Amino acid sequence: MKPDVSQVLADLAGRVARNAAPQIPAAQRAGELGLSAMLLGLAAEMWDGAAEILVQENVALRTLLGSGARLSQDNARRRWLVELAGGRDTSLRLSALQSANAELRVALIALHAELERRDDAEAKALEAEVWGELVAGAERRRLSGSPI
Amino acid sequence: MEEAELTTRLAGYIAGQMPQARDVAITEVARITGGASRQTYRFTLSWTEADGAPRRRGLILRRDPADSLIDTERRVEFEAYRAFHGTGVPVPEMLWLEEGSDALGSPFFVAEEIAGFQAGPGALWASPYLETHAVLGARKWEILGQIAAADAAAVQLSDTLPAVAAEDCWRRELDHWEGVLDADESEPLPIIRAAIRHLRANPPPPAQKVGVVHGDYRTGNFLYDDQGGVHGVLDWEMCHLGDPLEDLGWSFNPVWYFGQGMPGGLLPRESAIVAWERASGLRVDPAALKWWELFACVKGQAIWVSSARAWMDGANRDPILVYPAWALINAQDRAALHVMGRL
Repeated sequence: MKPDVSQVLADLAGRVARNAAPQIPAAQRAGELGLSAMLLGLAAEMWDGAAEILVQENVALRTLLGSGARLSQDNARRRWLVELAGGRDTSLRLSALQSANAELRVALIALHAELERRDDAEAKALEAEVWGELVAGAERRRLSGSPI
Repeated sequence: MEEAELTTRLAGYIAGQMPQARDVAITEVARITGGASRQTYRFTLSWTEADGAPRRRGLILRRDPADSLIDTERRVEFEAYRAFHGTGVPVPEMLWLEEGSDALGSPFFVAEEIAGFQAGPGALWASPYLETHAVLGARKWEILGQIAAADAAAVQLSDTLPAVAAEDCWRRELDHWEGVLDADESEPLPIIRAAIRHLRANPPPPAQKVGVVHGDYRTGNFLYDDQGGVHGVLDWEMCHLGDPLEDLGWSFNPVWYFGQGMPGGLLPRESAIVAWERASGLRVDPAALKWWELFACVKGQAIWVSSARAWMDGANRDPILVYPAWALINAQDRAALHVMGRL
């Protein structure tokens, strides 16, 4: 969820205030406020569920990375995955959850690429689980007005 | 630059381009919101001809902002419009291109305004436009086929747009947009990275022809009426030479379904392909088209993350840059899953 909601809301507050000035051309005011309203609606929808989505996703990713640590044939990656899989979210601030999520996603990308290169059944089974979580994650983050 | 100063400086510039004209004046300046890559204004130009005849004309100014969603050269867009003006592909007439920053603070061009038609997709989902979808859709993909059929040299675009070999079209585009993702993404994107690995492992065959690729041909980037007619194809800033299937794949990007469950929200996929093949004279290889559809998801995601990056870096705080980042990054992920048959 970038740019951060808090930064965008601060920017929109200033923009709404500027558009309250009487000399702003009507067409410009309509355009800016219309767009601002649309963003506020998106922020309202994202904001309520953001922490829960990130917590759920981080748990799911750590589980996958733990499985990956047992399967990976790359020693350095195995140690990395073990370390990440053993972590937990100690702060519920969105910034902390997002930071952890980004780290976990980077590791998932590396694990996914390794699994794709392998033909053994265990790797293929875990690859299917990775895809399952990617689909589930996309569903969790879906907005009500999504075009698809 | 404030609007009053912009008006004065633009009038001065245009007066310099029309030495025969007197009393050059600009009125009714209005910013058109919604463009994320250029600042767009409509205005009325009035002047007096040498014979004393008064004239008025509605025009469009497209000016580069400090940072935009799409980084392209102004000349590419200008020359693409000019190449197709007067052909079966409807485009506005281009008047003046200024690549320096002296006149208005940044590069710009001035073009004819095609007035009286809709551009945004919002009007399409209600009467009287709802009833025109079949006609409008057929016309939309017919025009895209006409673009594909164009001879780049004949329309004088081969000197402006970098050449590419038929077998290199896919790699050049994928390299470019993956590079944009590498530079601009603010969050890791495991679905799109998996899509890129799949694309590299399963490249398409060489292009049937190297043709003109509009680069952003979709519902929302053309002017339409309430009878299903198309009166202007817009937003050529990503125009390049390449595989014509790239444009077809982009037009099929599920983020342009608008919740209607079909390409562009207008026409079933098979009908769109028939219209495109008939107009282009080319055949659609289903596997190659599928490759370009997945590529479209990568390209789309690169544009949306660039939009977020531009806003976050602070060079351009236009809220239009936030909208695609918030509304389309997840949708584009879902689109990629859909194209890969996983959703």
